[in-house]
Amino acid sequence: MSIALLPRMSRITPWSVAKWTLAICIAIVAAFPIWWMFNVVFADPGQPVSLNPRLYPTSFSSGISNIQRVLTETGYLRAYYVSVAYTILTIAGVLLVSSMAAFEFALFDFPGKRILFAVVMLSLMVPMAATLIPTYLLVARLGWLNTMQGLVLPGLASAFGLFMLTQFMKSIPREMLEAARLDGASHFQLYWHVALPLSRTALVTLAILTFMKTWGNFIWPLVVSQKPEMFTVSQVVSLFNSPLSHTTVDVVMTANLLAAVPPLIFFLIFQRRIVEGIASTGSKG
Amino acid sequence: MSSLEITNAHKNYGAVEVLKDICLDVSSGEFVVFVGPSGCGKSTLLRMIAGLEEISGGEIRLDGQVINDTDPARRGVAMVFQSYALYPHMTVAENMGFTLKLSRAPKREITEKVDQAARILQLEKLLDRKPGQLSGGQKQRVAIGRAIVREPKVFLFDEPLSNLDAELRIQMRAELALLHKRLGSTMIYVTHDQVEAMTLADKMVVMNGGVIQQVGRPLDLYDDPDNMFVAGFVGTPRMNFLEAEVAGLNAGTVEARLSGSDSGLRFAHGGAGLSVGQKVTLGIRPEHIALSDHGGSATFPLSIGFVEELGESTCVHGEIPGGARVTVLSHGARFADDRQVHTCFDPAKVLVFDQQGRRVRSG
Amino acid sequence: MRLTKSLPNFMMLTPFMLLFGAFFLYPILSGFGYSFFDWDGIHEPAFVGLKNYEMILNARSSRIAATNLLTYVMITVPLGVSVAFGLALLVDHFQGFWARFFRSVYFVPVVMPLFLAATIWRWIYAPNFGVLNLILGWFGFENVRFLTDPDVMLYSLIGVDVWVSAGFNMVILLAGLKDIPRHYYEAARLDGANKLQEIRYVTLPMIRPVMIFVVTYSFISALQVFDIPWLLTGSSFLDYGGRRDALLFPVMDMMGRGFGRLGFGQAAAYGFLLTLVIVAITATIFAFQRKKENG
Ligand SMILES: Nc1ncnc2c1ncn2[C@@H]1O[C@H](COP(=O)(O)OP(=O)(O)OP(=O)(O)O)[C@@H](O)[C@H]1O
Ligand SMILES: [Mg+2]
Repeated sequence: MSIALLPRMSRITPWSVAKWTLAICIAIVAAFPIWWMFNVVFADPGQPVSLNPRLYPTSFSSGISNIQRVLTETGYLRAYYVSVAYTILTIAGVLLVSSMAAFEFALFDFPGKRILFAVVMLSLMVPMAATLIPTYLLVARLGWLNTMQGLVLPGLASAFGLFMLTQFMKSIPREMLEAARLDGASHFQLYWHVALPLSRTALVTLAILTFMKTWGNFIWPLVVSQKPEMFTVSQVVSLFNSPLSHTTVDVVMTANLLAAVPPLIFFLIFQRRIVEGIASTGSKG
Repeated sequence: MSSLEITNAHKNYGAVEVLKDICLDVSSGEFVVFVGPSGCGKSTLLRMIAGLEEISGGEIRLDGQVINDTDPARRGVAMVFQSYALYPHMTVAENMGFTLKLSRAPKREITEKVDQAARILQLEKLLDRKPGQLSGGQKQRVAIGRAIVREPKVFLFDEPLSNLDAELRIQMRAELALLHKRLGSTMIYVTHDQVEAMTLADKMVVMNGGVIQQVGRPLDLYDDPDNMFVAGFVGTPRMNFLEAEVAGLNAGTVEARLSGSDSGLRFAHGGAGLSVGQKVTLGIRPEHIALSDHGGSATFPLSIGFVEELGESTCVHGEIPGGARVTVLSHGARFADDRQVHTCFDPAKVLVFDQQGRRVRSG
Repeated sequence: MRLTKSLPNFMMLTPFMLLFGAFFLYPILSGFGYSFFDWDGIHEPAFVGLKNYEMILNARSSRIAATNLLTYVMITVPLGVSVAFGLALLVDHFQGFWARFFRSVYFVPVVMPLFLAATIWRWIYAPNFGVLNLILGWFGFENVRFLTDPDVMLYSLIGVDVWVSAGFNMVILLAGLKDIPRHYYEAARLDGANKLQEIRYVTLPMIRPVMIFVVTYSFISALQVFDIPWLLTGSSFLDYGGRRDALLFPVMDMMGRGFGRLGFGQAAAYGFLLTLVIVAITATIFAFQRKKENG
């Protein structure tokens, strides 16, 4: 095993040297900023950053105390709750709502199906810039500013999710549904007992992509949650980084690191799913 | 009493009529096979009985009740699909018990019925597997088990064996026949394989172009087909058809001259419905033609085109004078290609069809 | 009759369609309506006809934003896609563990939310003690003011942008590369093609549809750029765009007009104009591609 992992020594050519050098250099560029963020958090306090580029972590305990400080002395923990709730509700809502609609579009015929689907798909072409301000005005008029529903509901009708799940559900064999109908399943039971379990892979992929999008959403919380109680992690992080905040770099990076942890963990667990999910939407779109 | 009656059923897809005026009675406990070429509407008819396809016109009754608009689940029918259509995310036991679970049957009852069906089909050891871990034959058995659990009035099978390899198909065919005997339920079975149809059916329904051509016991269709389509469809190798003209009517026999040649043929027929000079088609099965090296009266020379030797039988393809192609099935004898032999038609087995392909019966 | 039969279908569609209608169709239409009014969100809206559009088209800030956007898009899209393609080719030349390893490492920046990418890079780009300046210093370069020198700022943004997006596009292109049947390469090799010719005559033509998707998608996201320049410049609704508006982009301009100056009518008009431009560009790419395919 370990032998197989090593490049075979017998084949050192200028080409393979160049290939490996390039690959490793790029890997460093890609990973360094994140590594550096980590090092800044876990660094001996009091040393000016300028003297030490922080190429490796130097103090575990000061990192922990940085984290403790950020979580207890600022509104970070609260923002974390808001972000987690925002993300979970959005994922659940997107999965439910778009899988129900995808079930119909993929597997049944009904009057108006083509036109409805076409309208939803056209919306994929419309940039969020077009809807941002009017959606904000609508949410404001509903009195939903600084509320969870104002944060979540406008993001649930995901045309992308509908498209992805519809494509996937089209591959469910018609006979499978007919068998279930003969077994006595109602329309909703067909969805719940047959279509949903059969779409598990697509649902997981959509959940992960929705997670990344929602956790990283900056602009919508920026306009909807204006009160500190409803700040999300993205806003708190941007406050830490704002020119007016007089926090030190290690505290700022702690805030950043804490925001990066959930997506990084997700990536470590679901790496293959994420990569394949993105790849497949690319080649299908 | 008929358990299933279909009267004047139609099916249209838009302007296209795929089933025309279907009338059929199926008695309780009967094994009925729908057979016909691809696209003739067998599946559509079966799916109409199941309730998966709307009925454009006519009536379907089950035990005297019109079921045209009854929900498929309430008709008391169960269907086995060609692709098995097992739920891949459920175990074999869950697949079979799904219908009971949906109807909120108590757990004990579900287990009991599933076990019982599993015993009938020898699936006991596979109950905890997922369909992905089963062979084709096992999947097929689970699909049948799922139908058995529903205790339907009518079992419907849509080409259930066509995804299996030849050997397994024969084995499953026998098992199905046994199952029918054991359960005694009404079964309707769709296939385009006429051997399967012949071996399984109590009653065979031959269809073509959305029309029922003939209904009857397999051997009745073989011996006494109503028209050229049925005559040609039932039996392998196919029946030979020869264009001819009626040359003379005698008591009990008819003389005909084959088109494009001077050869005449005399065969048993009452002569009803025939007149001298009428153009007809004669049908004779390959197994009713004898081959010999010597000519004689009532024989035709046959120039052999090619020979298929199957072991227990030999299939000889050739041409008779006038250019008509003829297939002869013989047992035991060996023939070389490109040889001239003589054929002798069994005069008692010649069938006559009119210009429209309808059978002209002897009396 | 048919409608009652389809009732279950419509019931399942209802949640999606209601949300879609309320939070997509209605905003689009109402936004178009607002764009003809002067409205601060508090007082009665006043109808002003096309004045909002006029103001936007004549404003200095929107012209700067448009120029910045044009420069930015013209550089970042080709550069980003080329880098991604290069990465895909590079990863494709590794097998097994190392292919997966490099793919994962190159993909890590994609996992970072954009706001984090921006805030991390803000510190890397920091003057004097920022890591990048430190490293440049080792090689004897002068201190570069990445985020405050108007001549450099745009390129700093593009740097972050490529860092973030390359992995995303790489993954899509890599899947495209894997879909190319091997025998095309074998045939090319038999015809005596070298590595470069293989890329030119086999890889590029075969990967075209995927490439077009990547380019279109990059265009659409680049035209709406917001998070990264907003955070790199430490913007707020009242003060945004960075020094000498060097990182002022249309979506930022729109947000500022709406929330900073409470001109929601103008902001709506801005959004509508932006949509027109983006849809026009997307349509052009598609049309161009169609024509090339047919011709
Ligand atoms: N949804 C449909 N719309 C239009 N025509 C259809 C539809 N479904 C079936 N048909 C047509 O109806 C005819 C009968 O189809 P059916 O599936 O019943 O044939 P079949 O006898 O089962 O053939 P096979 O042996 O190939 O399964 C065919 O000609 C088919 O083209
Ligand atoms: Mg069929």
